[in-house]
Amino acid sequence: MKKSNIILLILIAVAIGIIVTVAGDFSTYETFATARQKEGKEFQVIGKLDTTKVMEYNPQKDANLFRFYVIDKTGETRPVVFYGTKPTDFEKAESVVLTGKMSNGEFKCSKILMKCPSKYKNDQVAMGKA
Amino acid sequence: MDIKYIGEHLLPGQLGHFSAVLAFVASMVATVSYFMSVQSKEELLKESWKKLARWAFIIQALAVFSTFGTLYYALYNHYFEYKYVWRNSSRDLPVSYLLSSFWADQEGSFLLWSIWHSVLGLILLRVGKKWEAPVMTVLSFAQVCLGSMLIGIYILGYRVGSNPFLLLRQAEENLGLPWVSNANYLDFITDGNGLNLSLQNYWMVIHPPVLFLGFASTIIPFAYAFAGLWTRDYKEWIKPALPWSLFSAMILGTGIMMGAAWAYESLTFGGYWAWDPVENASLVPWLTLVAGIHTLLAFKFSGHALKSTFFFLLITFILILYSTFLTRSGVLGDTSVHSFTDLGMSGQLLLYMAVFTIPGFAMLIMRRKEIPSVVKEESTYSREFWLFIGSLVLMIAAIQITFTTSIPVWNKIINGLGIKKLLNLQQDIAPPSDGVFHYNKIQIWIAIVLGLLTAIVQYLKYKDTPKGFFTKKIAIPTVVALVITGLIGIFGNINYDAYGAGFLVAIYIMLFCSVYAIVGNAAYIFIGQKGKLKAAGASIAHVGFGMILLGILISASKREVISIDRMKMLDGGFFGKESKENPRENLMLPRNFPVQMGDYHVTYAGDSLAAGDAKTYYLVRYERRDPANGNILEKFTLHPDAFLSNRGQQQLTPNPDSRHYWTKDIFTYITAVPIKDDPANDTAQYSSHEIAPGDSVFFANGYMILEGIQPQPNNPNYKAESNDLAVGAQLKVFTKNNEQYNLLPVYCLRDSSREITVADTVAPLSLYVRFSKILPKEKKILLQVKESDTFKDYIVMKAFIFPFINVLWIGILVMVIGFAMSIVYRVKLNKVKKIQS
Repeated sequence: MKKSNIILLILIAVAIGIIVTVAGDFSTYETFATARQKEGKEFQVIGKLDTTKVMEYNPQKDANLFRFYVIDKTGETRPVVFYGTKPTDFEKAESVVLTGKMSNGEFKCSKILMKCPSKYKNDQVAMGKA
Repeated sequence: MDIKYIGEHLLPGQLGHFSAVLAFVASMVATVSYFMSVQSKEELLKESWKKLARWAFIIQALAVFSTFGTLYYALYNHYFEYKYVWRNSSRDLPVSYLLSSFWADQEGSFLLWSIWHSVLGLILLRVGKKWEAPVMTVLSFAQVCLGSMLIGIYILGYRVGSNPFLLLRQAEENLGLPWVSNANYLDFITDGNGLNLSLQNYWMVIHPPVLFLGFASTIIPFAYAFAGLWTRDYKEWIKPALPWSLFSAMILGTGIMMGAAWAYESLTFGGYWAWDPVENASLVPWLTLVAGIHTLLAFKFSGHALKSTFFFLLITFILILYSTFLTRSGVLGDTSVHSFTDLGMSGQLLLYMAVFTIPGFAMLIMRRKEIPSVVKEESTYSREFWLFIGSLVLMIAAIQITFTTSIPVWNKIINGLGIKKLLNLQQDIAPPSDGVFHYNKIQIWIAIVLGLLTAIVQYLKYKDTPKGFFTKKIAIPTVVALVITGLIGIFGNINYDAYGAGFLVAIYIMLFCSVYAIVGNAAYIFIGQKGKLKAAGASIAHVGFGMILLGILISASKREVISIDRMKMLDGGFFGKESKENPRENLMLPRNFPVQMGDYHVTYAGDSLAAGDAKTYYLVRYERRDPANGNILEKFTLHPDAFLSNRGQQQLTPNPDSRHYWTKDIFTYITAVPIKDDPANDTAQYSSHEIAPGDSVFFANGYMILEGIQPQPNNPNYKAESNDLAVGAQLKVFTKNNEQYNLLPVYCLRDSSREITVADTVAPLSLYVRFSKILPKEKKILLQVKESDTFKDYIVMKAFIFPFINVLWIGILVMVIGFAMSIVYRVKLNKVKKIQS
């Protein structure tokens, strides 16, 4: 067997190995219901901020605690605890992706990704008299 | 109906749009003429086609410059009747940021790209010689594609490109709105939408031009490789292609790292690299380009690896187009924070990618048999063999990064084919939840192999290395590298254990490999090249590469968060099961109240505004004291800043500030501030605690211990009277930062009947304590504690220490210098050869 063929085989094997390992890290976007079934396991949940409920962030009490409510895709509302500061413009987020786990009916998350309405989508021209 | 609009400046727009269309048409003429020139057999015909092509290309270049000039003119004069100007700038924007506005959006950045193609093309007209026609065919064709992105003309009902000179009143979303039919509508549009706040940064003025020069220059190696395949001159092209490839790798690398510097200095994800899809998409082509340079060298000196050189140089440009597709088609949407918005040009972008990928690779596959190759196998002791292996390792890195970055694309494909069920998926695939580690755990091994190869391969000779030569030469660098690694290991105290011992082992191996790469290449300048600096470009670039690896390794593995909120740890959080998900990295600093943070006492001393600057600056004083005697060892003030509002809306957009040392950076940024004009309403309630002496009470900023009950208390707010029976609760308050206060709230029974309580306070903490009852049966007292909410001046911030980040920045500089030296050396070598032949 030629050396280059051997190298090629090794390369393919390594690449497949890496991709399989890497794909093992992939997850899917889930709902609160699935997260509740497997409490303690980390999930990514897409949802919308429930604006009818209060958000709570008081840095003087705890700068690393932010509580709010999220409605997931199935319409289920859950309290969410985020260990960090309240992200800028959180109220305006169109949707949020929460990374965390369910525990005692609360979704405890360590990462929030916000999808903000594009700056340009609502290119409403503000009209005002100078 | 014709409305005569008042106050519009239509001429620049017409000129600009005309130029854009002219550039598009002229580049088509150039493409066709160059193509004909290559295909013509007769010398005379070749020349006359070429002449026409040259003129066409020069005209297109001038037209691109003119488009650029007009758009800048419109921006500079605040002509808000143009949507691009309105959308990306405002009157109060400093002139220095007008260029950031220019490339803030898709059209402007395409234009920037197009300008660089034009400049590079004009250079190629001079230096291209016999390669001019085929190379310029490719480049001109790229200009056709880029030009099409800017014309904004409807062809068969499909809008081709997006015209940067579109009038605001003609924009799709405004059509039919009442103000559009208002002849004097411009009287109402007094200001633009403004530039995205995070782009208002000097890095955003210089980073895009460099990065886009990097993008633009990758087409030249591609074009040379393509020209080689096309004209069946499979070998000759590599000579001019080598310095161009080096140039491209140098500029693209600089552009990427400038983006990292921008992120480090002005974004707040706490670092310079976050494996964000946008970053990845520009890194991957750099990896394949570097791989291509190495196989090219292997071919040049040994005749091996020509096919892989073709492959790498072709794929690099394709990956640039793929990265353009990812960042500009809107496909990244959920996964990246900083991609462009969708302009509805996905189809066009895909087409752009296809028209370069298909001919390039089709030709490579069809003509693969014609490409000369050496029948004899390369020796395991040859440099070319290991250069080839190194290139494959770079490609594995590229494959892994691309595979994960492309998750949104996989979702599109899976949904498009309707094979979700087949793959047993209910939902869309999500990126790994611990994204950074996901990449790091793979890439660290790649970095290890690359570091090792970088260190040793130069010591191998092309073709074959005499036995003994290699071991003799490499012995000293190896020993030196081992010793240095040992010293760093012993004194550096690297104990990054967040991901277990296995990963720490990998860190130590990588530490050795990166040190080895530095030492090995530095030594090679003397051992291998006898100190001839002229030829040492490659070694110097490799030293820089080693330093980059080392800098990344140390700054990432020894990065330390010092703004840990230690107070809340007391009530179970820190050692409890929540500690991992709640790292408590944000620290609240009340104004004028020192808080301990790492080795420092940190005080928030107020905020300030500067004239003509929309940002608010926060003064954060750092003080380091000698623990033994309390003397101040070091004192400095950082000014992290933030935009507090964006066009009248409350919004915090912070920028970090760092204290730079040779050995570390202290990196600080604001994560929250109170809303200033909120009416201060004290809603805090007293909480009651029944305690005995020796018991403690916790509150937000610390805790207090009841030391004892004191008769005849001495409290300035309490005036003793003759019939008083008074006792004081002697309390010791311990705060977050180990500061202590004494409190003595008083409980008094006046005239045997009237209860009086005199509260005591710790003003900086807004802490109120009341001694409200004695409970003789339980031998306890009732203490009431209140923390006021009225105290509203504070900041919440994060602070990190990045050790030895300068190794990374210096490494980048060294690598760029090395690249530049190699380019000069190779260009000279090519010239000398030409004179000789």
